[in-house]
Amino acid sequence: MISAFVVLVRIALRNLFASAINLVIGAIILFGTALVVVGGALLDSVDRAMSSSVIGSVAGHLQVYSAASRDELALYGDFGGEADLSPIQDFPKVKRALLSIEGVRKVVPMGINAALVASGNTVDLVLAELRELSNRKAKKETGLEGELEAQKQHVRQIIRVLRGDLEKSLAVMDKSAIEPEDLAALEQVSKDEFWAGFDRDPFGALEFLENRVAPQVSDADLLYLRYVGTDLGEFLRSFDRIRIVDGGPVPDGKRGFLFAKFFYEEGLKLKTARRLDKIHEALAQSGKKIAGDPVLERYVRENQSQTRDIVLQLGPEKTRLAIERLQRALLSKEQELSALLSSLFATDDSNFQERYRIFYEQVAPLLSLYRVRVGDTLTIKAFTRSGNVRSVNVKVYGTFAMEGLDKSPLAAAANLMDLMTFRDLYGFPSAETAEEISAMKAAAGAKEVDRSRAEEELFGGALVTQGSPVAIEESAVLGVRPRSRAEQLEDRVYTAEEIESGVVLNAAVLLDDAGRVPGVLRRIEELSGRERLGLKAVSWQKASGILGQMATAMKAALFFSAGIVFVIAMVIINNAMMMATLQRTQTIGTLRAIGAQRPFVLSMVLVETLVLGFLFGGGGALLGSLVMLLLGARGIPAFDDATYFFFSGPRLFPTLEVAQIAFALGIVTLVSIVSTLIPAVVATRVSPVVAMQAEE
Amino acid sequence: MPPIVSIVDVVKEYRLGKVVVPALQGVSLEVHPGEFISVAGPSGSGKTTLLNLIGCVDTATRGQVSVGGNDTGKLSERQLTSLRLDTIGFIFQSFNLVSVLTVYQNVELPLLLARRLDSAERRGRVNGLLEQVGIASHERHRPSELSGGQRQRVAVARALVTEPKLVLADEPTANLDSATGQNIIDLMKEMNRRKGTTFIFSTHDPKVMEHANAVIRLSDGRIAGRDLPRGPAEARA
Ligand SMILES: Nc1ncnc2c1ncn2[C@@H]1O[C@H](COP(=O)(O)OP(=O)(O)OP(=O)(O)O)[C@@H](O)[C@H]1O
Ligand SMILES: [Mg+2]
Repeated sequence: MISAFVVLVRIALRNLFASAINLVIGAIILFGTALVVVGGALLDSVDRAMSSSVIGSVAGHLQVYSAASRDELALYGDFGGEADLSPIQDFPKVKRALLSIEGVRKVVPMGINAALVASGNTVDLVLAELRELSNRKAKKETGLEGELEAQKQHVRQIIRVLRGDLEKSLAVMDKSAIEPEDLAALEQVSKDEFWAGFDRDPFGALEFLENRVAPQVSDADLLYLRYVGTDLGEFLRSFDRIRIVDGGPVPDGKRGFLFAKFFYEEGLKLKTARRLDKIHEALAQSGKKIAGDPVLERYVRENQSQTRDIVLQLGPEKTRLAIERLQRALLSKEQELSALLSSLFATDDSNFQERYRIFYEQVAPLLSLYRVRVGDTLTIKAFTRSGNVRSVNVKVYGTFAMEGLDKSPLAAAANLMDLMTFRDLYGFPSAETAEEISAMKAAAGAKEVDRSRAEEELFGGALVTQGSPVAIEESAVLGVRPRSRAEQLEDRVYTAEEIESGVVLNAAVLLDDAGRVPGVLRRIEELSGRERLGLKAVSWQKASGILGQMATAMKAALFFSAGIVFVIAMVIINNAMMMATLQRTQTIGTLRAIGAQRPFVLSMVLVETLVLGFLFGGGGALLGSLVMLLLGARGIPAFDDATYFFFSGPRLFPTLEVAQIAFALGIVTLVSIVSTLIPAVVATRVSPVVAMQAEE
Repeated sequence: MPPIVSIVDVVKEYRLGKVVVPALQGVSLEVHPGEFISVAGPSGSGKTTLLNLIGCVDTATRGQVSVGGNDTGKLSERQLTSLRLDTIGFIFQSFNLVSVLTVYQNVELPLLLARRLDSAERRGRVNGLLEQVGIASHERHRPSELSGGQRQRVAVARALVTEPKLVLADEPTANLDSATGQNIIDLMKEMNRRKGTTFIFSTHDPKVMEHANAVIRLSDGRIAGRDLPRGPAEARA
């Protein structure tokens, strides 16, 4: 037995180097194994990185929500909308029950919703400030003259710029393309008489400015603001991937809002500055060049042409300062700010870094870079479940990033707010807020606003207002309601009971060990049935929709393509082995003639493949391991946002496990044996008669 | 002594599509142990076909072929292979050595297949044979490094290493020049004399036939006669 095996291995080894076909097969096996090792390890690492990002950001290991819900939970949105969930019946009871399950570490209450908010344009913001000052003056506040005058000057500056724009277009365009009312309105507000009359009837003048002038600047974006209402303290403690970037966390038990950094930058930053950042990042991190890159070239063009946003933001004094600084920095004699800005933004690969620095050092300090700043109060208006529009004020404490997902538009678009504010917006206000509303309704005579006005309020309103309406139905109260009430709400500290004993739409369940997900899912179903909790539990993959399934889908796609590669390899190996067999019919026939049985011939071919498999497969595994070792030590840099997302960060440090090597060797052995089976059987069919035929 | 080969009314037909090619048309023959027999006949007369049937690498269409007392028509493929391994040695026209194995390994191969001897016995047997066929000094060489005559010596050693009762050789000298061919036939004859091994070989070459005890003449698939060879071999026999 052993002696026969010895001769088989001997023949196999000798054949290995005698035949060029074997080297082809060997090369396929070598690269195949290396590929499986590297690909498998990379996929595994990506999978692990992504799952820890998703689990550690908002999903947790599991999510529970009410089984009575119409839709399925979709943490990252449901085709652009929000899933319609019913509130969890009795959250404190649910939490107790869930925590009693072995392996459950934390249960974090949540609710997800979205609102459309107008980011407001610069003119709106400036006019809102002027209105606020006029309001305060109307309430006999003193010492406002300087501020009021500066603000008026700013508005007049804006009007000058708008008139300049309009006149320029008149020169190049057909007169009919310009609305005559627009020109008339601008002419009227340019007159000194208009401004002389301002002090007599500031609110009439403001209304004219707001209705006739502000709409001429159409750079207000509608922002789709998604937010997760949650127990913020518990949330920040539970999710290890959340990191505060600007500002600080919302103090425990307080109302507050945290912007997702990505959303904050994309949606609320001055567009010019955002584009500069993007160019900067592309040059610094991805090593790109502006020249020849269509996207970067477009950014440069847009920055050059879209300077008005900056021009409008600056009052006369700041405009003068900006002109002075830019003339010095650019060594220019140009008098006009927009022309100076255009030449500042005329960047190419040689001067970008310098211009970037000039912008941030000289111009940016004069500007509000963000439409909402940390510390501001944000007004969010949303439709309640009953279809009313509700508006809530909440203080912005800072911004946060979800590590690894911070560049994914899907994942990083969710902002955070406290549960109390969430409930107010959702239409399940806390008992206290409900009381307050009815008190105010009574005071204001419960005057309802008509539908068209409500729309206007919703979409036309500036994002930041200093007044604090609680519900838009109470618009009559606007401006009358004492500010201190909003401040009271802002300073109020809620107890854990208060936070938990209200509407909760879903809850993240964090476990000791990700491996326990299926077991705990089953236990929750059981428990929910037994204690009538009315819960539905889903894994994080399911809860996070396409995002959670991305890794799985990618894995499936890669395994599918690997499958195709292997099928091709099988065909090639099969053909090669067939050729080798046919070339060797004389030898095989001779062996059969001198007394070798069929199984001997079968083993001869298979042993040869196995020897090939082990030798070259081993070599491939070694090669793959070396590559992984190298990659693991140096990390793979993410080269674009998609890879950043898959890597869950700027760099992936893949790891290699022994199981992966074993798996690769196993699969390669299997593939080579399967692909040799047919040639091997064909070999056993070679008749000993061929030995007698003379060799050609 | 019972014949080692007994053939009765054997017909072998090859089928080429619809055409039936009769290669042997009713051949009967007996070969006794220790004989040194030549099969002669013009090209296409059925020499190779006859040897294939005796060598159990092919089966008769009709008639009976017995080798070593076994009716080959009644044996399974596996049993036929065993019969070849144990009872028959083959020498081929084109030597048919395994090119990736050395001279020594080629000769040892049938012993490894037979699995009867331990490695020391194998070594003794192989070395002894290599000595006898005069190729011992080349035992580490590959077939490709040998001349035709040397290769055929190795083939003779390989055919004899299992000590078969019968050795078949289909035109063993056809690929050799005549002097070398003579040497090989001398070698075979010597083995026949020393060990009493039965040899059946086919040839075109009248000079080669002279060494045989008997010459079986084939013509169109029939035995035309069984003669004693003429010439010196006759004198020797
Ligand atoms: N595999 C085969 N298929 C069809 N016909 C065959 C086959 N082998 C041999 N024949 C035919 O059988 C007859 C006998 O052939 P065989 O090879 O036995 O002759 P041979 O005497 O050995 O000839 P040669 O001296 O040329 O070797 C010939 O007519 C030949 O064409
Ligand atoms: Mg022949």
